[in-house]
Amino acid sequence: LNRADGSAQFSAGNTSVVSGIYGPVEAKVYEEKLDRAVVEVKFRPDIGAPTTKDKWMESAIRNTFEREILAHLHPRTLVQIVIQLREGDGSVDSAAINATSLALVDAGIPLKCMITAATCAVLSDDTTVVDPTQEEIDAARSTHTFAFASGSSTGPLYVDSRGDFTMDEYNHCYELCALATERVLAFMRTAIEGKVTKEAKISAA
Amino acid sequence: MGEAGQVTFAMQTFERIHPVEFQRRFLSQSTRHTGREFMQFRSLQVIKGAISTAQGSATVRLGNTTVVCGIKAEVCEPDVKQPSSGYLTTNVELSPMCSARFRPGAPSDEAQVASEHIHRLSAHLLDLTQLCIETGRAVWSLSADIVCLKHDGNVLDAAVIALVAALEDLQLPRAEFDSATGMVSAERTMCHVEVKRGLFPATFTLVDDMYVVADADDAEEQMAAASLLVVMDRDGKLVNVWKRGAGLMSKETVELCVNAARVRMAEIAKALH
Repeated sequence: LNRADGSAQFSAGNTSVVSGIYGPVEAKVYEEKLDRAVVEVKFRPDIGAPTTKDKWMESAIRNTFEREILAHLHPRTLVQIVIQLREGDGSVDSAAINATSLALVDAGIPLKCMITAATCAVLSDDTTVVDPTQEEIDAARSTHTFAFASGSSTGPLYVDSRGDFTMDEYNHCYELCALATERVLAFMRTAIEGKVTKEAKISAA
Repeated sequence: MGEAGQVTFAMQTFERIHPVEFQRRFLSQSTRHTGREFMQFRSLQVIKGAISTAQGSATVRLGNTTVVCGIKAEVCEPDVKQPSSGYLTTNVELSPMCSARFRPGAPSDEAQVASEHIHRLSAHLLDLTQLCIETGRAVWSLSADIVCLKHDGNVLDAAVIALVAALEDLQLPRAEFDSATGMVSAERTMCHVEVKRGLFPATFTLVDDMYVVADADDAEEQMAAASLLVVMDRDGKLVNVWKRGAGLMSKETVELCVNAARVRMAEIAKALH
């Protein structure tokens, strides 16, 4: 996205999410906060008009990133996160969180840490699948999405587990997602390093 | 006498001017401003059948938070892809009537998120094939309206309990589909629907980044850094664990909350019956 201050696309399997950041820009007077930036999220589905399902997603993403963005550095401004789902095939929420993390870095918005997310599903035969497809989610007994703050191992930043599960299954999925997010973080690091070196070469030339 | 009066006045003023500091005074002493323990839930009162014009209804009082759920049933055609399934739609209404925070007009973000979350949870409540009158021709469509009458924190828990209670209260007339005329006629006998798993919610709030309290009231919610919703079914299996807000809650805290939710489940079950 070349109009946005920062953008990133995150794809896993068939799921593809684009996140665009606009900001910090001037906030409307009735919306602004005197000591910090206001974070707004808009989530657009792949097909159709936004529904309450997308509002739920917006709220989840806003609550997750609101405190990780160093909003006190930009008072009375607005940071707008626009997420467009290009193709959804399961694990959309974790893809959206990952895309937004990358996009915020691309936009140069100061962050406390990187936020990475992963989804896993417990299928009816008791096997666990990380990064499930929509088909696997529909057939699963329970699905779990966890988001973690990099460098902090005390607990999850965001949890959304639903279905029919026990505490043991929850803990098992927690461990799996923690491992998966470490991989995602490493991937993000390579991607960002690659982009920064490329930009440095262009500006040097 | 005058001195005692002065102290009370000062406390109320302090609460108004420095609400965060006010709450901190209590929380730092391991208590809450209403005298509750950290993991203590408010008293729960459930009254079924409050609305006579609805097919099913329930009023839930969770401390000062009051929520009413009314279920209306209509007959309609089923979805082509699921010809034997009825519908259950849920809507949460947070109006200026319940709190000064809400403006009149389109539903606020909070209301939409609550509606969506309850809608997802409600999928575990009923086997929708129970609502079938005639496969492919007529099914019952239940619309549950959950209205908050008074908002003193933790509307979500109250709303879930109200929905479950209203579904337990629901009575549908036995209906027959006449294939000749295409009309559905209702008999006099009424029957209940079977609530499949049951939903027992418990919300825990991380206040001021440090203290985890159960069933936060409005003043405590204003200071919330994060909120954890744990929903269990009748058998103690987990239906939903939902953490929102980026305040950090450790893994051990989450397990503590799940155990507290299990205890809470018994309290809710008692209030429902």
